[in-house]
Amino acid sequence: MSLLTVRDLTVTFPTPRGPLDAVRSLDLDLEAGGALGIVGESGSGKSMTSLAIMGLQPRAARRTGSVRLQDQELVGMSEAELRRVRGDRVAMVFQDPLSSLNPYYTVGLQIEEAYRAHRPGTTRRVARRVAIEALERVHIRDADRRVDHYPHQFSGGMRQRVIIAMALSTEPELLIADEPTTALDVTVQAQILDLLQEIRRETGTGLVLITHDLAVVSEVTDHIVVMKDGVCVERGPVEQIFTDPRHAYTRALLDAVPRIDDEIGELRAVTADGADAASSRTVPETNGGPA
Amino acid sequence: MSTPLLSATHLVKEFPVAGTGGLLRSPDTFRAVDDVSFEINAGDTLALVGESGSGKSTTARLAARLLDVTSGTVELDGEDVTRLGRADLRRFRSDVQVVFQDPYSSLNPRHTVERIVTAPLLYQGRTVPGGPRAFTRALMERVGLDPDHSQKYPAQFSGGQAQRIGIARALAVGPRVVVCDEAVSALDVSVQAQVINLLRDLQREEGLTYLFIAHDLAVVRQIATRVAVMTQGRIVEEGTRDAVFDAPRHEYTRKLLDAVPRIRPEWEAERRRNAALASGTTA
Repeated sequence: MSLLTVRDLTVTFPTPRGPLDAVRSLDLDLEAGGALGIVGESGSGKSMTSLAIMGLQPRAARRTGSVRLQDQELVGMSEAELRRVRGDRVAMVFQDPLSSLNPYYTVGLQIEEAYRAHRPGTTRRVARRVAIEALERVHIRDADRRVDHYPHQFSGGMRQRVIIAMALSTEPELLIADEPTTALDVTVQAQILDLLQEIRRETGTGLVLITHDLAVVSEVTDHIVVMKDGVCVERGPVEQIFTDPRHAYTRALLDAVPRIDDEIGELRAVTADGADAASSRTVPETNGGPA
Repeated sequence: MSTPLLSATHLVKEFPVAGTGGLLRSPDTFRAVDDVSFEINAGDTLALVGESGSGKSTTARLAARLLDVTSGTVELDGEDVTRLGRADLRRFRSDVQVVFQDPYSSLNPRHTVERIVTAPLLYQGRTVPGGPRAFTRALMERVGLDPDHSQKYPAQFSGGQAQRIGIARALAVGPRVVVCDEAVSALDVSVQAQVINLLRDLQREEGLTYLFIAHDLAVVRQIATRVAVMTQGRIVEEGTRDAVFDAPRHEYTRKLLDAVPRIRPEWEAERRRNAALASGTTA
């Protein structure tokens, strides 16, 4: 059964030089309980895709195409209807946990508030129970004490656990995680990735993981979409992408990844057109402004 | 045994803790670097690796004399440089330069490339050999930038190109040691590969010595000759690159290496086989 079906998703920005597609004609498919990785470099449109799935693209942008959650079409939904879907059936986790939490409220209160917004009529008592259980589920020790702590009293990795706890409190069908471990230390990253795997196994929540890190998607997801300049250049099961990449850009990207287990004589650098450049002195990047 | 080019002995750096201390009480201190010693031989790359808060960047800043030590000594080519005054520091900066993580925030956005890369020489009261224009063009070619863009501003360059400007600025004074503080961490993987290659080429051709600060162990494997692992302000393990990666002795090093996400080796092997087959049939 298909959980998420995206067809011909296009996000267009007006610019002085005419309309620009940040995402163009993108198709995505995710089965219930599956994990889909969207990989790309900066400017590839991967983050805009994650926002556009939930209708969170910037106001100036125009979104067309179809986004179906189970059999419900999200494109064209009113803002009020969308708000019921977000955080309830679909939860999102972003890169920076600190900016996703309000520093003035305890983490417990924030989880309770999010939960009660989606489950009207829930008593404070029940919501508090939910908050503690949510913290326990992401392995925060002494959850019944920690629930009354403020965000600054948690480390970066613990804050990301709080965010994930909040996201999962409503038992969503789909979790969209945009670079959830990029700001974290490598040992903490490993714990959070393990946690995401465990949640998927135990609750059957579908996962869309957006990242620039090929090694991370190779460990966590079962299908991969490679994006470049707003379009999907290659898609397939994870093993196929990593053993037999078809597109020149995917191959170049895989060649450019530094490996911890061995030294590659000369890292192959990726050029703008996807071929690789032999010399470190050739200037293969396009001379555009910063992303 | 020759003297190491750059050495640090028993470095300690303490910072006062904000909000502690008062009129009659000195503030509490936090020891960011706790008795750190290392040596780098000319032409080598020592990588200082560790997680956030390990003290690796502070150590780099002490070694580059951007911060003053609480105690300990820094020596360049056998000379104690720990307490150099203003004039002598200028001389020191001709030998030791730094490349930072974020090129946009470390390059003045209102200055052209020419002004940026010639500034270190002017600060040191040196003349620009061959004149600013020709000097800048030659330097830009060395780091793989188009010399015709010497009058452009940092924002007109992509991230990887801007980092090349940062490297060009460091090279302008003809340093012997370049301290790279997370110099490739903010770059996309494809661009990162190019900048790593550039740093390696510069080292091979000009005999540069690097102190390379990084949290990304895969990057370190590509560039380091020696590796020192830091946690909680201390070096817990130091050795040749392959010794540290292939046979880590300290528990923390093992934990760090285990945590790094990896593409399965059997997938990598199969991809190489497939790539070889494909190039065989098309060649």
